[in-house]
Amino acid sequence: MRFTAGHCSYNIRVMKLFWISLIAAAILPTLPLTTKAVPRQEFKITLQVKRTSLSDVFSAIHKQTGFIVFYANDLFNDKDKVSVNFVEAGLDEVMQSLLRGRSLGYRITDNYIIIIKAIDKKKEGKTSIVKPVPQATADTLPASRLKGKVIGKEENSPLGQVSVENLTDHKGVFTDAKGEFVLQVQPGDSVRFSYVGKAPYVVLYRGQSFLNVQLYNEEERVLSEVIVTGFQNIDKNKFSGAATRLKADDIKIQGVTDVSRMLEGRAAGVSIQNVSGTFGTAPKIRVRGATSINGDNKPLWVVDGVVLEDIVNISNDQLSSGDPTTLLGSAVAGLNANDIESFDILKDAAATALYGARAMNGVVVITTKKGKAGKIAVTYTGNYSSQWKPTYSGFNIMNSAQQMSVLAELERKGVLGPNILDRANYGVYGKMYDLMNADENDEFPLINRPEERKKFLTRYALANTDWFDVLFRNNFMQEHSLSVSSGTDRSQSYFSTSYYGDNGWTIADRVNRYTLNYRNNYKFNDRLSAGFATVGSVRQQRAPGALARNSNPVEGRFDRDFDINPFSFALNTSRTLTAFDEDGQLEFFRRNFAPFNIIHELRNNYIDLNVIDLRLQANLDYKLTKNLRYEFVGAMRYVKSTREHQINEHANMAEAYRSASTTSIRRANRFLYRDPDNPEAEPEVVLPYGGFYNRTEDQLVNFDFRNSLNYNKTIRDKHTLNILAGQQVKYADRQNFSSTGYGYQYENGGTPFIDYRILKQTIENNFPYYGMSKDYDRFVALYASGSYSYDLKYNFTGTVRYDGSNRLGQSRRARWLPTWSVAGSWNIDQEAFMQSQGLVDYLTLRASYGLTASMGPATNSSIVLRNINTRRPYLSEVESVIQLANLENIDLTWEKLYTTNLGLDAGLFNRRLTMSVDVYQRTSFDLISLIKTSAIGGEPIKAANYADMKSKGIEVLLNGTIFKNKNWSWRSTATFGYNTTTITKADNNPRIFDLVIAEGGNTVGYPVRSLFSLQYNGLDPYTGRPTFVNQEGKNSSDVYLQDDAIEYLVYEGPVDPTITGGFSNTFQYKAFSLNVFVTYQAGNKIRMYPAFKSSYSDLDAMPKEFYDRWIMPGEEKMTPVPSMLDLLAQARLGGSYPYNNYNYSTERVARGDFVRVKTVSLTYGVPAAWLQRARLSMASVTAAVVNPWLIYADKKLNGQDPEFFNTGGVAQPIQKQFTLSVKLGI
Amino acid sequence: MRKTLLFLTAVVFITTGCKKFLEQPPDNRAVLNSPEKVSQLLSTAYPQANYMPFCESISDNVADKGIGGQERTNIDPFHFKDVNDDQEDSPEFYWNACYTAIAAANQALAACEAAPDPENYQAQKGEALVARAYAHFMLVTFFSKIYDAATASQDPGIPYVLSPEKVVFANYDRKTVQYVYDMIEKDLTEGLPLIDDKLYTVPRYHFTKAAAHAFATRFYLFQKKYDQVIEHASQVFPNNNVAAGLRPWNSAYYIQTYNELWARYAKATEPANLLLVETQSVWGRNYFSVRFGMEAVLADIILGRNVTGGTWVFNYQLYTIGTNNYMLPKINEYFVRASVNAQIGYPYVMVPLFTAEEVLFNRAEAYVMQNKINEAISDLNAYAGTRIFNYNPATHNITATRMRNFYGASNVQLAALLTILDFKRAEFVQEGMRWFDLARLKIPIEHRDVDGWRSTLEPDDPRRVFQIPDKAKMAGIEQNPR
Repeated sequence: MRFTAGHCSYNIRVMKLFWISLIAAAILPTLPLTTKAVPRQEFKITLQVKRTSLSDVFSAIHKQTGFIVFYANDLFNDKDKVSVNFVEAGLDEVMQSLLRGRSLGYRITDNYIIIIKAIDKKKEGKTSIVKPVPQATADTLPASRLKGKVIGKEENSPLGQVSVENLTDHKGVFTDAKGEFVLQVQPGDSVRFSYVGKAPYVVLYRGQSFLNVQLYNEEERVLSEVIVTGFQNIDKNKFSGAATRLKADDIKIQGVTDVSRMLEGRAAGVSIQNVSGTFGTAPKIRVRGATSINGDNKPLWVVDGVVLEDIVNISNDQLSSGDPTTLLGSAVAGLNANDIESFDILKDAAATALYGARAMNGVVVITTKKGKAGKIAVTYTGNYSSQWKPTYSGFNIMNSAQQMSVLAELERKGVLGPNILDRANYGVYGKMYDLMNADENDEFPLINRPEERKKFLTRYALANTDWFDVLFRNNFMQEHSLSVSSGTDRSQSYFSTSYYGDNGWTIADRVNRYTLNYRNNYKFNDRLSAGFATVGSVRQQRAPGALARNSNPVEGRFDRDFDINPFSFALNTSRTLTAFDEDGQLEFFRRNFAPFNIIHELRNNYIDLNVIDLRLQANLDYKLTKNLRYEFVGAMRYVKSTREHQINEHANMAEAYRSASTTSIRRANRFLYRDPDNPEAEPEVVLPYGGFYNRTEDQLVNFDFRNSLNYNKTIRDKHTLNILAGQQVKYADRQNFSSTGYGYQYENGGTPFIDYRILKQTIENNFPYYGMSKDYDRFVALYASGSYSYDLKYNFTGTVRYDGSNRLGQSRRARWLPTWSVAGSWNIDQEAFMQSQGLVDYLTLRASYGLTASMGPATNSSIVLRNINTRRPYLSEVESVIQLANLENIDLTWEKLYTTNLGLDAGLFNRRLTMSVDVYQRTSFDLISLIKTSAIGGEPIKAANYADMKSKGIEVLLNGTIFKNKNWSWRSTATFGYNTTTITKADNNPRIFDLVIAEGGNTVGYPVRSLFSLQYNGLDPYTGRPTFVNQEGKNSSDVYLQDDAIEYLVYEGPVDPTITGGFSNTFQYKAFSLNVFVTYQAGNKIRMYPAFKSSYSDLDAMPKEFYDRWIMPGEEKMTPVPSMLDLLAQARLGGSYPYNNYNYSTERVARGDFVRVKTVSLTYGVPAAWLQRARLSMASVTAAVVNPWLIYADKKLNGQDPEFFNTGGVAQPIQKQFTLSVKLGI
Repeated sequence: MRKTLLFLTAVVFITTGCKKFLEQPPDNRAVLNSPEKVSQLLSTAYPQANYMPFCESISDNVADKGIGGQERTNIDPFHFKDVNDDQEDSPEFYWNACYTAIAAANQALAACEAAPDPENYQAQKGEALVARAYAHFMLVTFFSKIYDAATASQDPGIPYVLSPEKVVFANYDRKTVQYVYDMIEKDLTEGLPLIDDKLYTVPRYHFTKAAAHAFATRFYLFQKKYDQVIEHASQVFPNNNVAAGLRPWNSAYYIQTYNELWARYAKATEPANLLLVETQSVWGRNYFSVRFGMEAVLADIILGRNVTGGTWVFNYQLYTIGTNNYMLPKINEYFVRASVNAQIGYPYVMVPLFTAEEVLFNRAEAYVMQNKINEAISDLNAYAGTRIFNYNPATHNITATRMRNFYGASNVQLAALLTILDFKRAEFVQEGMRWFDLARLKIPIEHRDVDGWRSTLEPDDPRRVFQIPDKAKMAGIEQNPR
């Protein structure tokens, strides 16, 4: 920031001869001592200038606040250059910063800030020993008694034990319990008030008899912005890497508990896709896009300098799979969002260099809150939320009448004949045929006459069941968080605890989470300080009883047995079915040969998840010499999670094991036992009583220790040198245990009843009924980093790190990896030629280059042998054998990445506009690719470092104050990130199925996770079934999805968006603040929901486009919606699956672009006057809506959320939510 | 400064401790540090892939039914085309499985060698050598020209792998068929005496001495070394009690239901099954339903008239499923679900790699080739006694004359050979074994389909040799000529 000469006129320079107190004495009598209407904290100053004179800074303060700064010229040289970096800082904060290190004090009056002489503690100490020389005027003027009262501003109550000192004679008293004091002073004396945790306050006595003094909390001030890397805190103006710092308060979305979801659209280049909204699941997070093909692409989470290890490692594909394991997917699910101070997102090689071989995917550093010296501050935050029930209006599903007419067509086509009674699943029609059979009294509940049938069916045709209404509710989520911060100079403590409870958006979900955070910092002496933290959380969650899904490339789909996910149930289940019968009782239809009702099932088949997460952390800081510091960080973490899948005896899943009423059912029911030694015997029930109790446990024990030395030296004020060297050891043991309990009788006192044959069945099917596996992670690193800065103009940093890990296997050759980075930045604004202009406040050019790495998904630097049981039909023939899982690969190494980053930071128009632009290019190499080999070595497909990838991108962050005055302001922040990737080498030989699935696949020349489609070629004019270009390039209904002839596929686009960003607007009017936050993404393609099948049953819900389906020859010219096959045509399909293929065709792809209003929130900060009356230090109320409006999405999606993969299991889309939030401070 | 030094010493100390720290394996992987563990590894030294589908489909046991299951592993071999599939039941899958087995054997051998007490690893070494020889033998049989003493030293073989592969892409050399045979013989003769049957928990899934001898009979038969065939065969039938070792078709099998027979055929308790292996295969569910299979005409040819004048007992266990799908309940599917309740999973078939019947036929053929017709007839009668319905030695006895008359051949040697081939064809129908004879004896095969396509596989047709997978080019392996 530069000032024009005109501004200087406001800056009143007082002639040297004038003594400041005289001036002050002249002015002050006309003013009250304390500010009146507007507390000075309300004046916020934003000032980010480098090497500018103090006088210019004062001008800026005048301009922004209206306060004129008064001072005597002998107090200091106002040409002194200072660099300051205030963002929305309070006036006190600014003044204290500016005067720090100068023995000066200040006071603020209505229109003036007066700088006065203060005596700092040290000198004061010395002078108090030597009797001070009285001032010449002291003898002549009579001493008078000053009475006064001291009030703590934040507490708004009198402060006792405040030290009140006359700085002239160094005599002092303490205030009493009422905050009152009496002190001997003479006019012109300065009186200082000091109190632990409060900013010292100096006042000039000019003869008043009573003095009201307010003391303010001493804010922990950050003179200049810093970047926290987890290893160091680096001044932003000396930092050369690409990083974004986000304050938790700025990005917090009230009512959203998972902090990772708050980053969406906030930092340029960070893409967050909410593939599932269920509590505990992780969004798909990419910092600057993908870096790896088969390995993890998720960033490293670091909390207060310690890496947050995953409890279970969830692969890219698993994230959207809906498997129960995904409930443990979010690394940060146990963090209380209110404990978080800030996020630092480290993006390029220079920023992440100190994470070396784990840094390839970027690093998110979370800094949590610390205790502050001062009076106890208690803060309560409460969020009360509710989520909207979904409705059919957003989806494209037939109503029951429409559905029934389709079923009638199916009946005419022979698909819904009485033989469906032999099927595992049926709906309305099955029920009808069942009732037409004689019951045990030889009576017919439903007479087989057309009018009776019609009457029966009419009820269901009119049912129009709203499954969303049945299975969802407007839930109540509450989050209560209480924090207590207190401390003295020598020790501070921060305690927080929170409760989060959600009674469930669906009838199958609920969550309780409790967190604890207790942090203490101690300063033992000037050299030694230490900190301890205990962070814990407990989570109890209920989810629908889901099993892991299986990929079925044969038919081209994913299978999940017994899926009872309420969301997919509501979308996939015919609205002709009813949840309740005419008497209001639960109505059952058939699934797996057993009665099924979704409400009943969700009550009887659920997963209880319990997670205990405890972290102990200690930091030690010891100053060895003036410039050399030793630092220790050590953490221990223990996580235990238990998943209890409780399948009650009445659950369909248990009843299915008992369904054996007819011969045809016995033959078809795959849950019955077939004795291999007695092949002629009829299949038998082996679960006569009880259900299942299936338990999965995951455990993590993690230690992380770091020792480092930090050397800091400034030579002749121009050369700053900082050297950091250290060593790190990590140890993480994971354990997974699972067991299946058969025949547990939930209602009969929990006695298990076990038919030995069910175990025999399981074992004969080659499924051990329990299992345990361990995973060991050992990691050692040495690192060093040096940075040099010249005159704040030029900065250079170089980092090397040497990592060793056991993850690649026992080979010593593969174990170690050196990584490095170099970076430089140029603060152009510090150059002489920039001093004369007033447009640019700051301008920094950054460049970095470096190597980072990540552990790929291969562990065979030495041979991998695993014990398995042979798959043989007779138990007497089964052996425990050792299988060669992976051959040794002596060349195995880490996945690596070179990043070049160029960045520009600028502040314009007195910082009303700030911007940051980064362009980067990245070359990933040695990526693990699954490659086909000659197989002669014995491993046909190897995971080896055979893939390379390039990516590039641009990131823009714009931040501007569009409008501002005393009452009104409007601030906007826009982020934009663009990233493309291209696989330059892979040799992975994907099959068609690998490339057409919703998650996308990888092949050379295309982006990571590219979506391909079968070329749709119209409907067959005779049968109306869809045809495609098949694997041989010919027109056919039959495409062999397991073929690797991918040249006839059509490239659609990447699955991950290439463009992501957000646009945040904050409008402020007095105490009201309105925030509207919009996120957007573009450039990706989405596979639409797989709605088409070869055969439909009376259970399926169909999309409305079925209305336009092919019915008669000739219509193939008008519609792309294939016909429904009659029974004969179904039989003729043989081994082909044209309808599944249709789901994977060019017809079933939509653009993934969307613009979404992420949040709208309105906050009201309670005015100070009211607060005083309520004895609160702070209070605010926020009303927020989350995800209220999807402004734009591809019309083809017809209500399908572009972010959400509807995979069933435990997956749920992100919800529309309303939150009321209250924040109170005492 | 002293403190700094102290710290640095600590750092050095800690880093030297890293080595041990990082030695920890990342998971619960097995380590080959005892003979028992090497034995466990050797259980996977057998090619876990089924050759039946492509062998049967290329053979003359199948014809076009016009309709039926469409499997590339059935369609392509029938049309004498390279199989456009690399999943289970394809030649490429078989290629992979053989080399995977070889890798296990080589890993085991390396462990035997590296052991401080190699004397305790002798039996393991024996099994590893024989298993390695077997997998290579099967490879050279399918993917190289059939052994011909005259050309074997020029015909390209298949890579004979002797040590574990340690790099991602290693280069290999096909060398010659002769080289491969030499290596097989070396491994077989070195390994066979070391085998110790007592060490096996499930012997029928391992190379017992008997199974190794059975392998030797096949191996020497291909080389036309008939003395060795007879010698090794005699080791399989110690007291020349042949009938007891054969499948009891005439007694137990005959009266069983198809479910029971399915369950029994490839069971380890059947004495006839000398060596079994588990393979991932869908042959069990479609061997009768594929479009190119045994239909009415062929069932009649294969299981109809025979030299004994009696009726094959097989006909009493011959089922038709739908129309024209003929099935002998031999191949049973064992379905391993992907998870406890999954509908999808991995279908398995237990494949008898060597049976007593084959050994008997090999010996009979060797006798014939050595013109010991009586010995051959004795073996054939022993076999017929278990296979002819209501067998009566008086009416069904095979004699030289009978064979000559039946085949209208003046040469008794030829007639006896044809008898053996027809018996084998009937015995092993739907099991793919027919192909070994067709290949070995270069018998022409004619196929035609209902769409009018027809082709004949002449004795020297290059299509007789299955194509080496395309991907082997990466290892410097040339493909077979087409």
